[in-house]
Amino acid sequence: MREAIQYDFDAVVVGSGITGGWAAKELTEKGLKVLVLERGRDLQHGKGYRGEHAPDWKVPYHGKKPREFYEEEYPMANRVYAFSEATRQYWLNEKQNPYVVDKQDPFMWIRGNTVGGRSLLWGRQVYRWSEMDFRANERDGHGIPWPVGYDDIAPWYSHVEKFIGVNGKAEGLPQLPDGEFQKPMPWMALERTIQRRLQKKAPDITLTNARVAVLTEDLPGRSACHYCGPCHRGCSTGSYFSSQASTLPAARATGNMTLKSNTLVERLQYDAETGRIASIHVVDTETRERQSFSARMFFLCASTVASTQILMQSTSEQFPQGLANRSGALGHYLMDHTLGMSGMGLFYDDMDSYYYGNRPTGLYVPRFRNLEGEDENLDFLRGYNYQTATLRMDWQTSFNTKGFGADLKNSLRKPGPWLFALAGFTECLPRESNRMYLSKKLDRFGLPQVAFDMRWSDNEVKLRQDAAQQATRILRAAGAVFTMGEENISPETMSLPGEGIHEMGTARMGNDPAQAVLNKWNQAHDVPNLFVTDGSFMTSASCVNPSLTYMAFTARACDYAATQLAAGQL
Amino acid sequence: MNRREFMQCAVIMISGASAAQLGFALSPEQETYLATAPDYIAGELNFLTPAQRNLVAAMAEVVIPRTETPGAIDAGVPRFIELMAGDWFNDQERAIFVAGLADIETRIPVDYGKPFHLLEASLQLEIMQDLEAQAKDSAWYDFANVQRQFISDAPFICQVKELTIWGFFTSEVGAREVLRYEPMPMRFDGDIPLGPDESTWAGPSF
Repeated sequence: MREAIQYDFDAVVVGSGITGGWAAKELTEKGLKVLVLERGRDLQHGKGYRGEHAPDWKVPYHGKKPREFYEEEYPMANRVYAFSEATRQYWLNEKQNPYVVDKQDPFMWIRGNTVGGRSLLWGRQVYRWSEMDFRANERDGHGIPWPVGYDDIAPWYSHVEKFIGVNGKAEGLPQLPDGEFQKPMPWMALERTIQRRLQKKAPDITLTNARVAVLTEDLPGRSACHYCGPCHRGCSTGSYFSSQASTLPAARATGNMTLKSNTLVERLQYDAETGRIASIHVVDTETRERQSFSARMFFLCASTVASTQILMQSTSEQFPQGLANRSGALGHYLMDHTLGMSGMGLFYDDMDSYYYGNRPTGLYVPRFRNLEGEDENLDFLRGYNYQTATLRMDWQTSFNTKGFGADLKNSLRKPGPWLFALAGFTECLPRESNRMYLSKKLDRFGLPQVAFDMRWSDNEVKLRQDAAQQATRILRAAGAVFTMGEENISPETMSLPGEGIHEMGTARMGNDPAQAVLNKWNQAHDVPNLFVTDGSFMTSASCVNPSLTYMAFTARACDYAATQLAAGQL
Repeated sequence: MNRREFMQCAVIMISGASAAQLGFALSPEQETYLATAPDYIAGELNFLTPAQRNLVAAMAEVVIPRTETPGAIDAGVPRFIELMAGDWFNDQERAIFVAGLADIETRIPVDYGKPFHLLEASLQLEIMQDLEAQAKDSAWYDFANVQRQFISDAPFICQVKELTIWGFFTSEVGAREVLRYEPMPMRFDGDIPLGPDESTWAGPSF
């Protein structure tokens, strides 16, 4: 019977960001006809990057932020470093598209507003998970065990890394597996000085290249980085990985992709007879026209929270608590990384050395706490890493000095001493009480506004405290003449939940259908033709930046889904 | 190019009408590619009187004077200050700015017999130093207090300094002729020699 049905598409992919782009590429390259739905507006690679290469004197207010306007329309997004008049077009207007913000415990939900989503805006840091990360839940009893291990996902990491282009340096560390790397970006003289000192005085610390999805060698249709600096304004040469530069062109080249922008998903329609999703219902954000599309299978890649929102909106007689939610886990176990400047040091070394070009990343200190067989007595679980930043002080860090005239002008124009900063990213435990849900408030499309209930636990606080203490030790060993560390750390002083923009969980993966929404293939336990491959599937958080893992699981899920489809199993 | 874009171009080429007249207009922000847009300081000035413009220009030049390299006036900083004070300041900051201007405008001719901009450089400097001495307890001067958008209750002299310095080093003249500007480096080298008199790189700001 089912073979007789005419479908509009083989697959619908919701979202065109990092995972949606990957799903579109993988599925279309396997010959499937794919519809990609994007709630944001259209944005053409190379043509739409309105702030790219704009010098300061062209940018409104020379880069100072119009504060009252931002507070009114982008109260959360404007806190992100990448938000400015040169990038504002990429972000969703929060006044027009509100969610419920708890005044006491706000959650920072950052959303993109264009084709490509946040792949245009991301920090481009890409790290593999290790077997230690996949075993963490099992080992300490928080959350449920992962149904996959490093060996399952390693080939998919390679598959993704080769396509997106990652520069980095192999270190042979068990806690941070090496990948398929292009040649690493050069270091500054001070960074080499610091590394030499750490090798002697803090040998447990590895200082290595950040692993970054920015090209140091050309790939087809994409050029090596030209070091202009602010990647997040968009890159016409495709030097950093974005959906626009990479996956969407590949999907488009197959002739199998239809992409609809300004298209917001309202719900998925479950067919009780077939036990499958029959169609997807959408609203045009400009015209308010409503439409539906049928397909053999559906991939939710709308981002953590947004994908779960769609499932929660898709209730039916069979799924009164949200589609594919027989486990009751949907919306729960929301996680994010805490982030912030754990420590900063002032250095007077290598004062006669300077740099040429704007390297679009710092360096990296892989996790060194709670490794297997070490640190047995720590009073916290799991770990953290540091991303580093090396800055030369200049007029921007000293414009508030006293004085006038030629002397002031002369001192402001010259480089000052160096600053080397360690920004800790800490793991977050999966906890049932941290969740998102649908409120009673409706938005302008008549859809429920999302609300959040999320707080940091003692473990995250202890991780941040340790990250600050260790940062001070590292900076002293590195030879800083003066250090400043994150102080008086408490949930109130830490980054807001969501501020890491590594929100994940809410539709976790696991072998037990009574506890998990998705199986090990990112397929809903309850609905075989439904896949969720954005950060929603994450069962724990690790401390490393998550996008690479989302991409690898997406590619793996696409391979599985296409095989199942061909075998008549979906 | 999709069909709609093609139709749009075709109609425009045939009729000579602008996209806006045809009702296809993108919002101005979508239309403007910043790198080819006019400079920010080319915007229309409508906040200060001619006398106040003279005063602001003279004060900015005291902060960053022309030396062997261009100064604040050469770099268009007075225009920057007027635009920022009119469009960017909040009400509290604007009130402090307006009161600060009024104070100099009325007090200086009485005390010195001439408006500020006609005084000799040493007197202008002395007046500015006095203002700074009175403002010295402001949080504006706190060590490393630079990672913020602005300090709303900062005294007038701090406003003038911040906008002058910011406007100058982010101007084309400041970036190219006082700092060093290389928008398209094409490579990264983390270890080049730095001479004792060499300037920092200008921008790009994030």
